[in-house]
Amino acid sequence: MTVTEALKVIRAAPGSAAEYHVLLACGFTPLHLQTFLTAHLQTKLPARKVRASAGLFGNLAGTIESAAQSEPQGIAIALEWGDLDPRLGYRSAGAVTPSVVPDIVEQAREMLERIAAAIEGLPAGIRVALSLPSLPLPPFFHTAGTQESQAELLLERDLMEFASRCAARAAIVNRRRLDEEAPCAARHDLKSELIAGLPYTTVFADALANTLARLLTPAAPKKGLITDLDNTLWHGIVGEIGPAEVSWDLAGHGQIHCLYQKVVASLAEEGVLIGISSKNDPNVVARAFERRDLLLGADKVYPIEAHWNAKSGSIKRILATWNIGADSVVFVDDSPMELAEAVEANPGLECVLFPTDDYGAGLRMLRRLRDLFGKERVSKDDAIRLESIRRASVVRENIEGGELSEAFLANADAVITANFADAENPRALELVNKTNQFNLNGRRFEEADWRRRVARPDSILVTVAYADKFGPLGTIAVIEGARGEDALHVSAWVMSCRAFSRRIEHQCLRLLFDAFSAGAIWFDFVPTHRNGPTRNFLTSLMGTAPEGPFTLERARFDEACPPLHHKVEILKESEVYG
Amino acid sequence: MDNLRDRLVRCFETVFPDMPESEIATASQQTLSNWDSVAAITLANVIEDEFAFQLDFEDLADLDSFERIQAYLAARLPASQN
Repeated sequence: MTVTEALKVIRAAPGSAAEYHVLLACGFTPLHLQTFLTAHLQTKLPARKVRASAGLFGNLAGTIESAAQSEPQGIAIALEWGDLDPRLGYRSAGAVTPSVVPDIVEQAREMLERIAAAIEGLPAGIRVALSLPSLPLPPFFHTAGTQESQAELLLERDLMEFASRCAARAAIVNRRRLDEEAPCAARHDLKSELIAGLPYTTVFADALANTLARLLTPAAPKKGLITDLDNTLWHGIVGEIGPAEVSWDLAGHGQIHCLYQKVVASLAEEGVLIGISSKNDPNVVARAFERRDLLLGADKVYPIEAHWNAKSGSIKRILATWNIGADSVVFVDDSPMELAEAVEANPGLECVLFPTDDYGAGLRMLRRLRDLFGKERVSKDDAIRLESIRRASVVRENIEGGELSEAFLANADAVITANFADAENPRALELVNKTNQFNLNGRRFEEADWRRRVARPDSILVTVAYADKFGPLGTIAVIEGARGEDALHVSAWVMSCRAFSRRIEHQCLRLLFDAFSAGAIWFDFVPTHRNGPTRNFLTSLMGTAPEGPFTLERARFDEACPPLHHKVEILKESEVYG
Repeated sequence: MDNLRDRLVRCFETVFPDMPESEIATASQQTLSNWDSVAAITLANVIEDEFAFQLDFEDLADLDSFERIQAYLAARLPASQN
């Protein structure tokens, strides 16, 4: 992006949209870094009007310490060596002789401590992106440039300790990836630094701003991966050479398949759904999955579609089993034709070609997968996702006419746990921002906006977890709203598709009516092209399909509500009932 | 309007979107309150983008009006861009 393009992006922002305020904390003059940061954020948040403000020159720590006063949604911190001690910058006249270097190291350590404390002290709702020094240390140390000096190593050590401490609160720019995207030699502009105060070349200011913007507004990770088997998960055609002969090792020239298995096994453990679509004999595939040296165990995969029919159909069935959309899923295959056929029938599917003979392309593919599925934390809910879907097949087998039988529901030993004081649970916002089908209005929230909503004095937030004799589903529903004068207001309500057909949505409403002694609940319903299940449920209560916000009376709900068999546990009950 | 002048007007429009086009040709740091040091550097970059020409930071102090910038560019750009 050029400065001109950035200015045009900023100019085209919707003037009346809700503001997204980002604070750029840096010790230098922000200039184009601020312009590019605004533009990249504006591109990623087209429905918002992005405003970037900056702190005082030479006072990065102070800017972070006072950040909460301006209530930004995000803070982008661009740290440079001169922020740790001005003598490490080019604009200072302070000497850097061997005798003062120990003092510089000590001052830098103290400043890192101060900045870390400032970051840790930021209100929880502010998202933080941190870039560690991206420019080389100045040539003030006693060794030749090709050799590290003791002082440089001490500075790096302290910086890494600082970064690992801050990682609990801030998203930190991966310096190795940034090195690839913006080579070090093309970053520093000394003339610009000395005359204008900005140390970066325009090209690097753009690259760093883009990276910071990506960390401030991370893309939703993909939820599922469907993989081919032959010459993808392993080397060789299992139907021709047999399960014992397919390979994924160095000796068999199949190490790239081993690396792929490692990545896929890791994704599975992180909660990514893994399915198989392969044109093969299912019995042969089953025997291949019995091999104990396979890095991706059969228990990590569900479902397996192995037959000779079109893969597009397999993928449709897998998506139906997972109950997620094609745009949340990645399909990996070594055949461009199979990929084309799959995406033709499943628009939105992200197709990735497995490059069997190109090691460089193979590594790029593995990195792309990591980027597509990258998430900041792995929760307990992630770990049980695949197993709960596998168990859901038992539930599906008992569905008659679109509903589970009364006897099945009554004997499921279902327990619903409603937590009325779970505002700090990151799973709540994660669920709100990724759920499509059972979603009251499809509205998404930035973390800071969400935190502000749930911190209002009249706010209500309920997270709902579910378990039955087939196993736990984890936290599967979130309700957010406020106590109104005439009715309880529900502004956000989502439920995981894994929890359908168990009357959990009915129990959610009963919980709300009971907990708040509400005579009516007002729903901020908005029909979307994907929330049909929500609309159907609400129609079953109201008798007619809602087209927008509406109010449900308690008497009407009681009349329409079927028998509920769950055992209900309420957490933080005392806070709810005062 | 000649080619250079036309393109320079576009640069000013990009950096100062609220300024009427009729006032651009007479704009200067004295008459335009939001032509501060940040705007001056931003304008320099937009001009660099438009003309694929590297401005010298040290010349910025003298480039304080549309007229002066136009003259500066006319003296340094190849004839084909004038």
